[in-house]
Amino acid sequence: MLAKFFHRARPHGSKKDGYRAVPDEIKKQRRLYYIVIAIIALAFIATTVNTSFNPFIIFFNMENFIAFIVNDMIPPNFGRAVGLWDSLIQTISMAFLATFVGGIISFCLCFLASFQTSPSSVVVRLVRGLASLQRNVPTIIWLFIFRMTFGIGITIGFVALLFNTVGFLTRMFAEVVDEVGNESMEALDSTGSAYLPKLAQCVIPAAIPGFVSWLLFSVEINIRSAGIVGAMGGGGIGMLLMGHLNAFRYRTAFAFILVLAAVIIIIGVITDYLRERVLSK
Amino acid sequence: MDSATGTSNVLLSVKNLSKHYGSTKAVDDVSFDIKKGEIVTIIGRSGAGKSTVMRCVNRLVHSSGGKITFDNVDMASRMPGKTLRKTRSNIGFVFQHFNLVYRLTVFQNVMHGRLGHMSTFDATLGRYSESDKERAFEILSSLGLEEQIYKRASDLSGGQKQRVGIARALMQEPSLLMCDEPIASLDPVTSRTIMDIIVDQAKKRGIACIINLHQVDFAKEYSTRILGMRAGKLVFDDLPELLTKEKIDDVYGVSALEEGERAYAVGMEAMAVVG
Ligand SMILES: Nc1ncnc2c1ncn2[C@@H]1O[C@H](COP(=O)(O)OP(=O)(O)OP(=O)(O)O)[C@@H](O)[C@H]1O
Ligand SMILES: [Mg+2]
Repeated sequence: MLAKFFHRARPHGSKKDGYRAVPDEIKKQRRLYYIVIAIIALAFIATTVNTSFNPFIIFFNMENFIAFIVNDMIPPNFGRAVGLWDSLIQTISMAFLATFVGGIISFCLCFLASFQTSPSSVVVRLVRGLASLQRNVPTIIWLFIFRMTFGIGITIGFVALLFNTVGFLTRMFAEVVDEVGNESMEALDSTGSAYLPKLAQCVIPAAIPGFVSWLLFSVEINIRSAGIVGAMGGGGIGMLLMGHLNAFRYRTAFAFILVLAAVIIIIGVITDYLRERVLSK
Repeated sequence: MDSATGTSNVLLSVKNLSKHYGSTKAVDDVSFDIKKGEIVTIIGRSGAGKSTVMRCVNRLVHSSGGKITFDNVDMASRMPGKTLRKTRSNIGFVFQHFNLVYRLTVFQNVMHGRLGHMSTFDATLGRYSESDKERAFEILSSLGLEEQIYKRASDLSGGQKQRVGIARALMQEPSLLMCDEPIASLDPVTSRTIMDIIVDQAKKRGIACIINLHQVDFAKEYSTRILGMRAGKLVFDDLPELLTKEKIDDVYGVSALEEGERAYAVGMEAMAVVG
């Protein structure tokens, strides 16, 4: 009886294959990896030949690089770093404000962008499409666009960061809502709850740790971007730093760089710690 | 049973209900009535359509055809959202996997049972009335959960979680309680406790009950009537004592032994392919 079933129930049949140690799908996947690696290697060779740029030069030229740092950048000159702290505060506020305002906007949009809570899948695709456009076009590009219309300064820096933040957080918040799971929502539907109470009493309480975690992550990203955005005309510490670099005042510039790097690292460490705390709850 | 009071006693009437998923007939022309005070269990193999019937009744699933009358509303037809919510608020639903909001406390989860009876504004802000809160305490202590009231739902055992699920359904003050495999994730002793609670509470509060079960012995012990489903069709609808060995075989299609043997063979084959 058993033996009969063994013969009949063999799904992919033929004896000549024997029992394979590695299934075909995995073999196919491996082949794909080899191909991708080969393409990357070829592209590398092609570009270095084409531009006659030797990427390994940074390793051979190490002495020059170090000499430049030692002679021209050290010690940092804090004495001439006028406006360092004011502009630093501007940059930090720009990043926090973009995260905060972006968080509020994304909080409202994410329920439309999640399959679990959206009134229709057309709305989901629309909102997600807009969000990926905002997110995938780099902050710098947004900055250049706004710069052409509004000139330079902290306002366009903020708007450029905000654009990216809304795109990023809407998508991430929507994924958090997706993960809340259909089960508890179904339970609230079955009690006769309306849509808003369901969001307020079930979806949001379950999603809060995820929301807060992404918000913290967004603070970290925005602090980093705020420096660069500033350098490109978005105001704050980055803009002053760029000014000093362009005027070859490397020691003063180095003072700005040190402070900016320290702030980025400290805020990164703090937000990482807080994220861990939030998610472990 | 008694024809004198007949139709007025009927709480839920399901007529020619069907539900198709593509070419799968999950429910195929099923009709039955549930009267006040009845404890009805539905038995049948996995995939027979038990859950689908229940979900059609409170319109978590939209049926493909038939008529489901509850509270003078046809749950098989389209209706305004307000009517749907009001009708649902009178049907309690207990899930196999409890379906609680695990980050919230036991108390908050139980209060969710009131959301369907409140104005959208109050419900959104969670402004529950004092009398509702008192009732929640009363229900929780009658289910033996007074120690757990302010614990997070995630910190409870399976049996305790299911009691919270039952408490939430009872908070609705429903006239009908539907339980979809309420004990399938629980050990045998806890299963008995949960079945006792469901049936006792239903009797005490005058709630009619439909329970999906996989345990035929429990079905016979606890119910006033048994429905048997096979491949989407209703093949048994009678008193528990009339569910004989032959009828059970009929509901379950093949004898359990044969089933087990085939499952074993398929399992061995799967292992051989993976290895
Ligand atoms: N959302 C769905 N999409 C497609 N098919 C479905 C869906 N839900 C149920 N079915 C099919 O409908 C049939 C009945 O399913 P149902 O869940 O009602 O069975 P059940 O009797 O509750 O089984 P179990 O005892 O395993 O819970 C099954 O064949 C199932 O595959
Ligand atoms: Mg089921």
